[in-house]
Amino acid sequence: MSDIVISARGVQKSYGSNHVLQGLDCEVGRGITGLLGPNGAGKSTFMGLVLGLRPRQGGTLNVLGVDPDQSGPELRARLGYAPEHHDLPDDVQAADLVRHIAQLHGLPRRAATERASDALWQVGLGEERFRPIGTMSTGQRQRVKMAQAIAHDPDLLLLDEPTDGLDPVQRDDMLALIRRVGSEFGIDILLSSHLLEEVERVCDSVVILANGVVGHSGTLDGLGSATSGVKVELDSDPQPLATALAARGAQATIDGHILTVTGVDEIGDLVRDLVADLGLGLRRLEPRRTTLEDVFIEASR
Amino acid sequence: MTEARIHDRGYLAYDGPRHGPGRAMVVLSYHTAQRVLGLKRSNWQKVMPAIALLVAFVPAIVFIGLAALLPASSDFELGDPAGYYVPISFVLFLFTSFVTPEALCTDRRSGMLGLYLASPLNRDTYLASKFVAVIAVLGVMTIGPTLLMLIAFTLDGSGPDGAIDWLIEFGRVLASGLAMAAFWGSLALAISSLSPRRTLASVAIFVSLLVSAAVGDGLAQGAELGDSFALLNMVALPIETVYRIYGEVNPDGPPIRHVETLPILFTFLGLIVVFGWFARWRYQRIEVTG
Repeated sequence: MSDIVISARGVQKSYGSNHVLQGLDCEVGRGITGLLGPNGAGKSTFMGLVLGLRPRQGGTLNVLGVDPDQSGPELRARLGYAPEHHDLPDDVQAADLVRHIAQLHGLPRRAATERASDALWQVGLGEERFRPIGTMSTGQRQRVKMAQAIAHDPDLLLLDEPTDGLDPVQRDDMLALIRRVGSEFGIDILLSSHLLEEVERVCDSVVILANGVVGHSGTLDGLGSATSGVKVELDSDPQPLATALAARGAQATIDGHILTVTGVDEIGDLVRDLVADLGLGLRRLEPRRTTLEDVFIEASR
Repeated sequence: MTEARIHDRGYLAYDGPRHGPGRAMVVLSYHTAQRVLGLKRSNWQKVMPAIALLVAFVPAIVFIGLAALLPASSDFELGDPAGYYVPISFVLFLFTSFVTPEALCTDRRSGMLGLYLASPLNRDTYLASKFVAVIAVLGVMTIGPTLLMLIAFTLDGSGPDGAIDWLIEFGRVLASGLAMAAFWGSLALAISSLSPRRTLASVAIFVSLLVSAAVGDGLAQGAELGDSFALLNMVALPIETVYRIYGEVNPDGPPIRHVETLPILFTFLGLIVVFGWFARWRYQRIEVTG
């Protein structure tokens, strides 16, 4: 299998005068990829295009080697999808629902029954599999959605806000399960979320959407090591230091007693000298590491 | 020796056979038919389908019983098969209004539509599967009793004479039943496509049928605007169509009986197409992600 799972070039999608995707370019590789973006950034629209539910208006899109617009049914047989909403039919047993979806994806009834049972065990609902979904908690419903998405052994799993509505413990469990599906089960995952911390915890790489285009894409490994500027923590008001730095061409933003300084060379030496000159108490001076939050904010501008 | 067992097989890849979209349609149709009939659901959900089936078959069973019990020389008439649809049309009316919306509405309300469209099905094959399921369920009531009577009377020796006549009668039974089921089914799907709420769809179907009957007959007979307005009566139209399939006219029917056969068949088929087109138009516009 190719190392590129999804490849998009100049993808456009509009709803009337609302241009949701405006020439989106990205490549999604193997492993777990986070699809980040503020509400309305086009994440769900992009997922809809990947699933072949809607035709795009421009550009090229390749998912698992095929065009979703041309080969939607064949492609969707190889995809698993867990939608954002929590609604599932209340009066259907979890095992029946998962088996039914597996059959729709082409599995013969006997195989679908076996794999539905296995999938529910894998997501931790083995003992609960014959319960009507209406009697299950939100966390259990999220697990049922995960089970129906993996039961037919997809090549690519699309998860839309999989921790929405979960309490912290359930959220941790769900993130651990996603990590397990991506690593142990060997299923590539595209995880749509607006929660940075989730993506940082489970994803190998990230695609950040903003205003209908890709603001950033890349692996998460590179983020922590990249530096730009310094962080300075003082034991007093940092305003005098910020003023002095601005006079020397640096940009300084204040957050309480902490200054984030960027914009000039040899910045560490400059800060050290100014702190000494102004007689300020220095608590901490360290390289500023680029976080996913920084990238997200920058990409969203 | 200690017996060892592996309880957790871990996640296993699936390398077995996979069926295509055609099989997915069969699976969805079968599943939908089960739900419409209340199978694998609470007992309360089984009541209405069970009553409908009972009412649809009871007259046929009574006819067959009478034919079997009465001496062959008696003057007992089997009655016209087309006329059979008059007494059971009320139960078809109720079944279409209050049970068939389950086929579409619940999927949208429960979010299943998103899962279905994320499978090898697309919007058209999804709707086609639903249509087949509804026709199959309605067909049990529209074809089953008359077919049962045809077989029973044939075995009794009082059926059509000769193989050709029998096949013609058999064709009429199938055509009539399918026509009725297709009309009621397409109407139900068209109106159900308007709302994810089953109750709302049920009321809408019920009211639209009553209103169409009142308006059609009112304009044709009350206002005396012409018999053609009776074609608006969607309760009488399928029954009269069945009569015409048998080459007859409903002797005691509403004003639509005065309309020529061609306009009746044209209106009947046209409405099925319009209902199907409308449901498709609605489903092309429904968003299922985000």
